[in-house]
Amino acid sequence: MSRDQDISGLQRVILNERGRLLRFLAARGLGDDAEDTLHDLWQRVAAAPTQPIADPLSYLFRAAENLVRDRRRSTVSRDRRHHDWHETSVPSEEQPTGERALIARERLREVQTALAALGPRVELVFRKCRLDGLAQSAIARELGVSLSSVEKDLQKAYRALGELRAKFDAE
Amino acid sequence: MAMSASDLELREAARAWAIRVQEPAFDGWDGFTLWLESNPSHLEAYELALDDAAWGGEMLASAPATVPESQPRRQWWLAGSAAAAAAVAVVGGWAMLDRDAPAQRIVTAPGEHRILDLADGSKLALNGATRVTIDSDTPRQVILEQGEARFEVRHDARDPFVVLSGGTRLVDAGTVFNVVRDGDALEVAVAEGSVIYQPGADAVTLKPGDTLQLPGKGARPVVGKASPQAIGSWASGELQYDKPSAEQVARDLTRSIGRPVRAAEGARRLRFTGTLLLGGKPEEVLARAGPLLGVRFVPDGEGWTMSPAHGPPR
Repeated sequence: MSRDQDISGLQRVILNERGRLLRFLAARGLGDDAEDTLHDLWQRVAAAPTQPIADPLSYLFRAAENLVRDRRRSTVSRDRRHHDWHETSVPSEEQPTGERALIARERLREVQTALAALGPRVELVFRKCRLDGLAQSAIARELGVSLSSVEKDLQKAYRALGELRAKFDAE
Repeated sequence: MAMSASDLELREAARAWAIRVQEPAFDGWDGFTLWLESNPSHLEAYELALDDAAWGGEMLASAPATVPESQPRRQWWLAGSAAAAAAVAVVGGWAMLDRDAPAQRIVTAPGEHRILDLADGSKLALNGATRVTIDSDTPRQVILEQGEARFEVRHDARDPFVVLSGGTRLVDAGTVFNVVRDGDALEVAVAEGSVIYQPGADAVTLKPGDTLQLPGKGARPVVGKASPQAIGSWASGELQYDKPSAEQVARDLTRSIGRPVRAAEGARRLRFTGTLLLGGKPEEVLARAGPLLGVRFVPDGEGWTMSPAHGPPR
């Protein structure tokens, strides 16, 4: 790729651990795009500011996971744009805006009721994790509970959300 | 819409991975890769868990919280003692166990090892591709559904520790023992103390170095001998053998490295006595083990076939 002194420490880790990273990307569903994504990763770490990183390999796996999610998000939103275009071309099936807002409020209420039924902390923990972006260990410290309680609250929240989303989709 | 038990279990496992991977300190990427690779449905379930969580985040972002913020500061001592109590009850990996939780099913990916610290001080080491259920209502009982686990049990004569597997009950009498469940076959080996197999009419008491094999449902148990320090040695990253059968070595390697290893047909007992180290990639483990065992590992699909080093070519 380039001469030894031109590549960063992280890039050296990519070279050394190429097999493991590629295997992860393939397992993450990228198939033939795994090589491409690894190349993206290579370029990103070249641009990254040079600061010490405690565990470079975990850092790279994390960056790879984020790249996979970005890719997937852009595929999904492209599909959705396509889908929306079809929807708007059939305006007769669309619900009036007021009715849609009503349904959205009703669903939100249902989500909050479901989370509240799982215990006093579940919504709070989920919010701190997903909306405030706090680490689970930090949430555990803040609330004075064990990390496993935080994990279990999240597991309950994810489970309830999955069930509700499936139910709403079926409606 | 009814989902099968295995579907529900898969979704639970996928959500657990999504939560673990989310944590900045997560470093189990190879285990995560193995889990994803072990079945194509795993990726789909993982993506679904991510989508569900993202969807929930978007929903809640549009509304104020309906729960109180953190406790007021004057209750610091309460929160502190709760945290301390939790730390005493369970210290260890991520799959820790709360008293108020419902029954918990814990699944390891092929090649993954995990230690569970139970609330009563007992310790459970899970080998790869293993499934156990633990219920905080019955803290002295573990159900081994599949795979291999090494139990280090805190003994209490008034409240014996029980392992259920298939139709079999194992009751400890203060002990370290290893249990393998492979389909309907069951194998128990005792390293320290003693274990009572199926208490009742046909109870068998197993002492250190005793093994008991149950080839299948309704079969008669076969009692044998093993070297006590070899029992459950996989939990400390090594496999100890005293002239094992080729099948046993193949099975142990499969569980520990997470890729299939088969014994070639007609393989016999190996002459090897000693220790195999499990560290490193599967290829590295096999490269070290081959010369010691006097076998060759020939790539075969996703895994390897093990045949005698000097035997005829396949």
